[in-house]
Amino acid sequence: MAETEPEVEVNGEAEGEAEDDSQEQDKKQKKQTRHDGGAADLERVTDYAEEKEISAANISSAVEQFGNQRDKENSLRVAREKELQKVQVKKEDIELIMNELLVSKTLAEKVLREQSGDVVAALEAIISN
Amino acid sequence: MPSSDPLPPKEGALFRKLLKCYEMKQYKNGLKLAKQILSNPKYAEHGETLAMKGLTLNGLGRREEAYKYVRLGLRRDLRSHVCWHVYGLLQRSDKKYDEAIKCYRNALKWEKDNLQILKDLSLLQIQMRDREGYKETRHHLFTLRPSQHASWIGFAMSYHLLGDYEMANNILETFSQSQTTIEAHDYRHSELLLYQNQILIESSHLQQALDHLLKYEAQIVDKLAVRETMGDLYIKLGQQEKAVPIFESLIRRNPENVLYYQQYMAARRVTTSGAIVSVYREFQEQYPRALCPRRLPLDIAVGDEFREVADEYLRRGLRKGIPPLFVNVRTLHQVPEKTAIIEALTLQYFENLTRSGHFSREDADAEVPLEPASALVWTALFLAQHYDYMRDTDRALEYINAAIDHTPTLIELLITKGRIFKHAGDPVEAYVWLEEAQSMDTADRYINSKCAKYMLRANMVLEAEEICAKFTREGVSAMDNLNEMQCMWFQTECALAYERMGRWGEALKKCHEVDRHFAEIIEDQFDFHTYCMRKMTLRAYVGLLRLEDVLRRHPFYFKAAKCAIEVYIRLYDKPLASETTIEEIDIENLPPSELKKLRSKQRKAKKKAELESAQAAQAQVKREQHQKSKQQANQETDPDAPQLDELIPEKLERTDEPLEKAIDFLKPLQELAKERIETHLLAFEVYYRKNKLLLMLQSIRRARALDASHPVLHSCIIRFMKALESAKQEQPFNVHVQQVLDKATKELIGKKTPQQLNDEFIAKYHTTSILHLYEAARGLYELDASKKQAAIKLITDFNLSKLRLEEATKIYTALRDGDVFGDCEKEAEQYKLKCQERFQYARIFRNIEELEAQLQEKEAAKLRAEEEQQQLNHLDSNETSASVVGGGEPASVAAAS
Repeated sequence: MAETEPEVEVNGEAEGEAEDDSQEQDKKQKKQTRHDGGAADLERVTDYAEEKEISAANISSAVEQFGNQRDKENSLRVAREKELQKVQVKKEDIELIMNELLVSKTLAEKVLREQSGDVVAALEAIISN
Repeated sequence: MPSSDPLPPKEGALFRKLLKCYEMKQYKNGLKLAKQILSNPKYAEHGETLAMKGLTLNGLGRREEAYKYVRLGLRRDLRSHVCWHVYGLLQRSDKKYDEAIKCYRNALKWEKDNLQILKDLSLLQIQMRDREGYKETRHHLFTLRPSQHASWIGFAMSYHLLGDYEMANNILETFSQSQTTIEAHDYRHSELLLYQNQILIESSHLQQALDHLLKYEAQIVDKLAVRETMGDLYIKLGQQEKAVPIFESLIRRNPENVLYYQQYMAARRVTTSGAIVSVYREFQEQYPRALCPRRLPLDIAVGDEFREVADEYLRRGLRKGIPPLFVNVRTLHQVPEKTAIIEALTLQYFENLTRSGHFSREDADAEVPLEPASALVWTALFLAQHYDYMRDTDRALEYINAAIDHTPTLIELLITKGRIFKHAGDPVEAYVWLEEAQSMDTADRYINSKCAKYMLRANMVLEAEEICAKFTREGVSAMDNLNEMQCMWFQTECALAYERMGRWGEALKKCHEVDRHFAEIIEDQFDFHTYCMRKMTLRAYVGLLRLEDVLRRHPFYFKAAKCAIEVYIRLYDKPLASETTIEEIDIENLPPSELKKLRSKQRKAKKKAELESAQAAQAQVKREQHQKSKQQANQETDPDAPQLDELIPEKLERTDEPLEKAIDFLKPLQELAKERIETHLLAFEVYYRKNKLLLMLQSIRRARALDASHPVLHSCIIRFMKALESAKQEQPFNVHVQQVLDKATKELIGKKTPQQLNDEFIAKYHTTSILHLYEAARGLYELDASKKQAAIKLITDFNLSKLRLEEATKIYTALRDGDVFGDCEKEAEQYKLKCQERFQYARIFRNIEELEAQLQEKEAAKLRAEEEQQQLNHLDSNETSASVVGGGEPASVAAAS
């Protein structure tokens, strides 16, 4: 994406600025060397880098294969979640769990569903893990 | 990227340059470009340009303007993925990760296949450990760009982190097969291979891992990792004979790696202690300079063989004068038999060195050359440390004094003397010795830090800060600099000192500072998500992620969190009066003696308050200065640092919800430090005060699973039963809760009443364990307040000679403070006198008056010394000024003429 020949007026200015920037950086680095030797290296950690490309003939089949695998996983998960969603849970049970055990609503509901809506089992599951 | 509000070619080119400038961190250029676009009246309100201008400003640290422009840009163009993306990036740099994720999702709504946005989203997901989401995003990226290296790696990694090793390995395998050209010495490729190997090992496919390693050995540049892993795999796969030469060569490479020796032994299948020791002997000959083959047999050998190897090892160390010799063998003291042998050996050395200058009589008879004179000092030091470890203060002091008489300038001796006093319960005397040691080598940072730590143990925070200031950066207050440097041992010791002094707010401040360090360390991993992927240091990266996951398991966090929880509990039990109301006490009705006490108390309090307010004023000034300097620094260096609320001690100690604050510190411990019983005991204390019976039960159960015989657990159970009883009387439980409670209590104590339980406990530990007995006495009083005297008698009658100092301190403070058994000043005083005899060095059992007199005496001595010094200086300066005057004469003469 590096553009070398854009509009003339901008170019002149930008280059001048770039020099300024680099000079400033030089100064900064000099200042830093005394206390923080590694700071300059750390700064470079967040630098931008171009991605490397590979050229391979047989990857398209792999892509497809992994895609299928993922779809399978997802459908499994969706089925599991559906199963859990089918469980009838009472709002007051969720609130009881939240209040007695100081847990989040999400967790209370999840445990309650996993225990098929049995509030005693849910309470026990949380205190005995 | 089709834009919702496209620019004409000229401006479009400028805009692309602007993006480029941002990526290259040329923010000033970027601003100019943005200005150029916006100066065209037709595009003065172009949303995407405004947003980019804001982001660029953020890069320059101008946060407020940044928000202004980004929001403005977004408002102008709500359907632009660029604007949403930019808003997300800004939020991210402000550490508002949840918000940033929402922004990215909005951006993806308008441009669902944008690579950059997807990449940024994946970074946030891994940072927040949304592993499922990370996998989804990584898969999306993979399908979009299967031709990029990074797509494959990230995709595989997402499965690895979810624990799906099979899939992770499949992806990497396919990837490596589709790679055609591999350069020699390709570090990234080599790392990738090792990463794949790690996955295979973690999925327990050991044979596969070994085959993989053998196949690619030539392409891997990290030869050491190959050798280590291969040797390990051979052992695990039962092909020990192949591992032997590998570990032989590894030991040759580094004869000081403990693990190599252990694995070598496993490979050779030597198991009996005698055989292992003789293998170590071979290594001793082969590597005469190496320490490991000499030290390790000490762990293994027993009986006479131990005596023999210990004798050699100790003599060598004492002859050469190795200062940490005792620390090096301290772990052996866990075995009483070995302790006795070490003691006998060193006593014999001391005796013979004093008499003839040899380590033993046999040496003297054989007329071997004399040992160096310093051997005697090191032996005496060793014995002092040994007896100190055994808590035999008198003998420890005897030997250390002998050593100091011999060589008064050896710093190690003074440190040890200080440590002996510390262990004997006199932190003040201890610090005096450390200060002395410190003054003998002010350029030694170790002794400097030790000295500071001992000062903190003696509750001398200001002095400790001053000492540390010798090594902190100039121009900044030492305390701030130590915070900036995340010097956590110092801050935790400060917190504990403040806790001992009852300055709760200051203690909390230090604990919160430590907590913030941990938060910061977790923040700091952000940059590595991109960096490690790019550099392909994947093994190290996974290691980092796993470390950060459990970061707050670290002992430093545990210590600070424990302190914070204890302080918050204490603040809940005895809340502080608000700052303005001062207790009015009815003076009229007090007897004269009481009145006198009160007056002197008030005087002291006033003095203290004055001092404190002066200190506070000073601190305020310092704070302002610091704030100013920080602001300046911020502008230059770190625009990313989020502005945190300032921690103000007065506010911290007057929180409205101490228990909630305690829970904040508790949660990470419950999550990450489950294996420490203190976690659950602390949790009980919090939930007991919140009156959450089920959670009390949870804590008790967890603690019991770790150590069913822990003394404090008993008190928890008794208090739980009591709380259960009184809660029942107040109002009936919810049926479900009742059911759980019934079942659990039955499991816990069967059908016994708490009284029965407590009586049994007393009978069991009556003469064997004071800590258990103490908890039983607490239970006795808790269940029936009329049994106060019996309870106190129970613990004060316990044979004092069996007590350790920490135990006696615990009992005494409980009696003295009156929190546990109600008011019992008389009994406390009696107990103190008894303890005074048993622990003569311990400060806590001595009389305040005596201590104060001692302190005054010391201060007076110090003052005198200073005065003398000043006089000397005065004399000196007189002399010098005289000489100056003398030397100046010609000049003045010259001037006059």
